[in-house]
Amino acid sequence: MMGLFRGNKINAGEVSMNMDFADRIKNVEALFQPRSIAVLGANNVKGTVPSDIFENLIKTEFRGVLYPVSPGEKRIGSVKAYKYVVDIEDPVDMAVIVFPSSVMHLALEQCGQKGIKSAIVISAGFREVGGKGIEREKQMVGIAEKYGISFIGPNCLGVINTDPDVMLNASFARQMPEEGEIGFLSQSGALCTAVLDYARAKHIGFSKFVSTGNKAQIGEVELLHYLKDDPKTKVVLLYLEEIRDGKGLMDAAREVIAAGKPVLAIKSGRSEEGAQAASSHTGSLAGSDDVCDAAMRQAGIIRCRTIEEMFNRAIAFTYQPLPQGKRVAIVTNAGGPGVLTTDAAVDLGLEIARFEPETTKFLKKKLPATANIKNPIDVIGDARADRYDWAVSSVLEDPNVDGVFVILTPQSMTEIESIAEQICVVAEKHDKPIYTSFMGEADVAAGIDILQKNHIPHYILPESMCDAFSATHAFREQMGSSYKPFEPLEDVDRDAAHLILDKAAADGQTWLPEDQAVEVLKAYGLPLYESEVAATPAEAVRAAEQVGYPVVIKIVSDDIIHKSDVKGVVLDVDSPEAVAEACEAMLERIKKAQPDAMIKGFFVRKMIPKGEEVILGVKRDPTFGPVVMFGFGGIFVELLKDVSFGVTPVDPQTVDRMITGLKASPLFSGLRGREPRDMASVRDCIRRLAQLAADCPQIQELDINPLIVLEDGKGSFAADARIIL
Amino acid sequence: MQNDVQQRVKKVIARVLEISEDQIADDANFIFDLGADSMQSMELVAAFEEEFDIEMDEEKALDVQTVSHAVEFISSYLK
Repeated sequence: MMGLFRGNKINAGEVSMNMDFADRIKNVEALFQPRSIAVLGANNVKGTVPSDIFENLIKTEFRGVLYPVSPGEKRIGSVKAYKYVVDIEDPVDMAVIVFPSSVMHLALEQCGQKGIKSAIVISAGFREVGGKGIEREKQMVGIAEKYGISFIGPNCLGVINTDPDVMLNASFARQMPEEGEIGFLSQSGALCTAVLDYARAKHIGFSKFVSTGNKAQIGEVELLHYLKDDPKTKVVLLYLEEIRDGKGLMDAAREVIAAGKPVLAIKSGRSEEGAQAASSHTGSLAGSDDVCDAAMRQAGIIRCRTIEEMFNRAIAFTYQPLPQGKRVAIVTNAGGPGVLTTDAAVDLGLEIARFEPETTKFLKKKLPATANIKNPIDVIGDARADRYDWAVSSVLEDPNVDGVFVILTPQSMTEIESIAEQICVVAEKHDKPIYTSFMGEADVAAGIDILQKNHIPHYILPESMCDAFSATHAFREQMGSSYKPFEPLEDVDRDAAHLILDKAAADGQTWLPEDQAVEVLKAYGLPLYESEVAATPAEAVRAAEQVGYPVVIKIVSDDIIHKSDVKGVVLDVDSPEAVAEACEAMLERIKKAQPDAMIKGFFVRKMIPKGEEVILGVKRDPTFGPVVMFGFGGIFVELLKDVSFGVTPVDPQTVDRMITGLKASPLFSGLRGREPRDMASVRDCIRRLAQLAADCPQIQELDINPLIVLEDGKGSFAADARIIL
Repeated sequence: MQNDVQQRVKKVIARVLEISEDQIADDANFIFDLGADSMQSMELVAAFEEEFDIEMDEEKALDVQTVSHAVEFISSYLK
């Protein structure tokens, strides 16, 4: 009996972990469309996970064959049980494993021997519990790789496929959701159950519903690849707690979006711990959540703050055509909500449509004299279904309208249900989006139910309706653009940069002071003014003569990372006498402020003319890799926090967004009589810096602060730089 | 002594899990081969303590996965 396992004990550490991405995703299809399933660890104890999972598979009438595997039972319900999965005579496509974690390795090993290539591991007790659990998870991955098994989990709720040809509910969720076009992937199993309940109440259906759990092997990256080609899925929703493969997620999302399917995501755990430990401006400003935010935007993922916001947007994407523009018509039976909606729409950058004269003429003819026939159209409190029909139909036919917001407040004469039904009829006849807001709760409930059953997006608040329209419009806008990162620059000297960085690391340096940092920047063509390093005040005078007056003088010391703090910078020094005096005074000050600091000399550089001060930086993010930062700079950068980020490799659109995304961005284009700044040179700097960050993994953090941006055509120049190794 | 312990261990397992002794291989895994659930695992620990008149470290006892390991573990209390 036990001979099956003798000699098969596996040590995860000895297993070759060479199952590549293609191998992993090859078997994902069987996870959603298995023809036969073995449930390992099934039992007859009602109210337990193993029992509920088997019951769910039976209850939802799974279209394939089920094999319960249970060493202690002869049958599960009325279905014959097998002692071991290897005892099943017929081939098995997928395993659902609910055995305790302590024997998971035995169960998975047998699945491998049986030739099963796909599995869902429901059980908990792995990485999430630490200690032995981590070892168990590694061991399980090792076995899966050995046999070429792709698995979801462990520690998950399971997988649901509502396709009528499959009807798979391999989960311990209470209910099978309605069939729909939303693919939902969630790291939290508990959240899955709440989402299913929420969605059921609103008649929101799903195509695929996956709880990814610990993501020991299959995660959102592989599943996104599957959903991209899944004809039943139109929109993908993600709930993420940790992102293990940031670049993989970005690439996969781009592919899904390129296939015309929006990807909406919630990323929880907005920790700033990483930022707190940083020693550069960029490091302290680039919190993990800011980087995540930038990465998602760069990949085209629509980030949502709440579950409600995500579903509000998702139903707009799923139920209605995308708007062709941002001009909206508002039809309401009350003035106040019409104004609220107008405000919210305008705040989000939507336009209130101006109707064609024919539309206005028609509305004037059909609506009472007291009605407002301009946008927002007020059909007046006593409006019944006919007035809504005339108003909504006519504006939908107006070429100046890209979508309609229909608002209803429940007044004594309002026929809520018949108006809802009429909206459904009108929506059916047009290919422009209609969103609705029946405001209130109890009285409007029956009307809302009609709208939801007929897949007309409904929102409790008009603001949410506007937000959803704005999201669909933005998606429609971005659909035409494709991601093309900059070609690598050829006029850079990677070897020279590596030489400096490697030598510094070999010398035990943890950071590069300005005199060394500028050499690295020079190698990548970042613009610098001429400078010299002088060992003594007398040499500093000679250096100043060399670079030309006026000069800036800075202290050079490996012990002083923030020079301004010890008054180690003197600007605008314009004569040999002033240079000597400034150097002597600086030595005196530092002797008092930081007596232990070893002074190497003085960095003397020609003064850069006055310009706009910005900061450029680099940080290595553990999830997304090298990240570039751009911000409104100078010494108050951390106070103002007006910064933006780009994950490398950057593309022209990302660089533009980094610049225009700043609150201070109008300053660069010449606000209130100021000269426009040379932003082309800034774009070039960001591109060069991104390449430097990608080429030189030795750089952990880098600041150019400030980069002085001169008037248009005159360039921008790095005035200070620091590199952290 | 080891043989005696092994036979008594198997008797206890057979009684608690309601299976025949000849179904119990020396290296059978309580959960994976004999189908013990978490409640039965607790019952097994109590039954072993009663059978051998010992008091076992419960946490360590629940870590025991196979019959042979159980024999070894119980024997360590009998020395």
